[in-house]
Amino acid sequence: MAFNHISIDEELCNGCNECVEICMCDVFAPNPDKGKPPLVMYPEECWFGGCCMSHCAHSSTGALTITTPFQMRGGFKR
Amino acid sequence: MPRLKVVPVETDVLIIGGGLAGCMAAIKAAESPDLRVTLVDKSNTKRSGCAASGIDHTWAYIPPVHEKMGYTIENMAEDHRQVISYGFFRKDLFHLVAGSNYERVLDLERWGINFRYEDSKAPGKFRIVPQFHSVPTSFNFDGGPLKPILTKEVENRGVAIINRVQMTDLVTADGRISGAVGVNVRTGDIHFFRAKAVVLSSGRSNRLSRNPTGFDFNTRMPSPMSGDGTSMAIRAGLPVINIEFLSNILGPAACGNYNPNYGDPRNTVQPAARIIDGQGNVIVPRTRFFDWENLGKEKWTEEVRRRWIEERKASRGVKRDLAKRLAQGEGPFYLDFSEATDQEIDYIEWSIRNEGKGNQFMRYFQEEEGADLRKNKQEYAGLWPREISGTAAKGLWVSKDLETEITNLFAAGDEVAGLPWQASSGAFTQGWHAGEVAAKRARKQKGFLPLSEEIMKARNEVCTEMLNRKVGFYWKEVEIGVQNLMDFYCGDVRSEAMLQRGMERLEDAKAAPMKAENPHELGRCLDVKSIIDNAELVLRSSLERRESRPIPFGFYRADFPEQDDENWLVFLAIRKEPDGVFSFSKIAVDR
Repeated sequence: MAFNHISIDEELCNGCNECVEICMCDVFAPNPDKGKPPLVMYPEECWFGGCCMSHCAHSSTGALTITTPFQMRGGFKR
Repeated sequence: MPRLKVVPVETDVLIIGGGLAGCMAAIKAAESPDLRVTLVDKSNTKRSGCAASGIDHTWAYIPPVHEKMGYTIENMAEDHRQVISYGFFRKDLFHLVAGSNYERVLDLERWGINFRYEDSKAPGKFRIVPQFHSVPTSFNFDGGPLKPILTKEVENRGVAIINRVQMTDLVTADGRISGAVGVNVRTGDIHFFRAKAVVLSSGRSNRLSRNPTGFDFNTRMPSPMSGDGTSMAIRAGLPVINIEFLSNILGPAACGNYNPNYGDPRNTVQPAARIIDGQGNVIVPRTRFFDWENLGKEKWTEEVRRRWIEERKASRGVKRDLAKRLAQGEGPFYLDFSEATDQEIDYIEWSIRNEGKGNQFMRYFQEEEGADLRKNKQEYAGLWPREISGTAAKGLWVSKDLETEITNLFAAGDEVAGLPWQASSGAFTQGWHAGEVAAKRARKQKGFLPLSEEIMKARNEVCTEMLNRKVGFYWKEVEIGVQNLMDFYCGDVRSEAMLQRGMERLEDAKAAPMKAENPHELGRCLDVKSIIDNAELVLRSSLERRESRPIPFGFYRADFPEQDDENWLVFLAIRKEPDGVFSFSKIAVDR
């Protein structure tokens, strides 16, 4: 298992590839199978700016989500 | 071995880097309908550069507010010179930036960025907050969608945008710019540009140091910016200044966690939290809403500046001491919003969401953790990942019209050095100005200059080799090696022997054969080449600066522990001579 903080829901993603288009770190690649969700090719090159989420037309339904990696969490008092 | 495909591109004005500065340059240059303008970005201009995911503030001299206060642009320049630049200051650049950014703000507003708020009591219904000067000079604004909006404006003016091309080389003819070379990181094609004028606006030099989170690209400013412009410029023989100031700046941030300095006092989020220790003792009191109702009514006097300097020194001093106090076992420290009103919390959350990783931070904090700014104190301490301090502002030495020593080659934004913390203000105004002058020059130049193919062919060969190598290092191995080397030999404490050893080790990195399995990895290999070039400049310039200079420069030479203003309150310029030898010169700062 590798870093996997970015996940794309196959059911909810419409394969528009907008995230592939705009990700400044070039984390994604289009799926060779047209219309299918993009591939998260290089998650370790993510800057965590969230542009993919803000450009995803379906992120509000959870098509593309970022789960903050454990080592970046918890800098606050519960 | 078959070489990579070469795509020739002819344009009148070429802009390298489509961040804030590059987009503004493209918009301005394209006002001339007779000119072909091309904007190249290694990512996608919709989301690239420091403002990729948003930006929420920009400073300016604001005539409708400041004139009434009797606060002149000269007063503001003096604030900036003394307190923000610590003397490392260019007056001509300050006047360009401060004096024209209000006009750029009005442009941005015309293009659809919101700067005015019904609840604001300030003149013009702006939100103007104190940041860098003795009176409020920074606009707060809804800059989350700034890059997509600017891209639209660029497109509307007929500019050709070429995304995913990473620029690698400048081509000159008898001291004049004639073109440039880049590599498409999606296709692997070599792009060979012929241009009459070029604006270099590729931004900062990041990734010179390891990131403690284990995510190497989790830098403070966006990680794609690997100092490509500096690398190209130094290989073209141009002088670069201030690059020795790679340091651990005490940001009020704990980079090991996902809790940056959102809402700390005396930052751009106003009102702000207070800083407390584990026992609840207040280290720095909180700030409240600025007195906007009276903004512009109070007359500015030298006394206002004196008070501001004192306050700033006190709060900055305390914030800087946190690192020391941590080392003495006095941590942890927290940002505490518990006293904020609902209205203030709304404002703070709005402000955080508009810039950088703030939107993601708030989403994580609230949605993934179910946390609440008022109830859950954020831990606050530690150091930023190492980067070239904004106070130093490394980059190219340019003329007052932003031209480099290569005729018709201009620079803008973070590519330009000499005005600390120019940030978005520098990008908006210098991009605009560079675009204007570059267009003028391109129009004046009748034909294209001869375009030597030598550099392009050499670049093609290097890239072809990396893509075809059977055995070679993965780019990240070399990048991490260089970062570790910089942290060890060119860290918080530097000395002649360690820096020289660092340069020896860097030779190994230069010689390391990298292997790329596809164009994306080829792009990363090119990043690493830029990082190595930048690292070499930091090492060499650190060796040359024989003094120490405290935070925010954070430059400490164990063998020259004293600050030496008499000899070293100067811009140190490094350049590579045609014979490959590096030379230095000192350039006076403006007083």
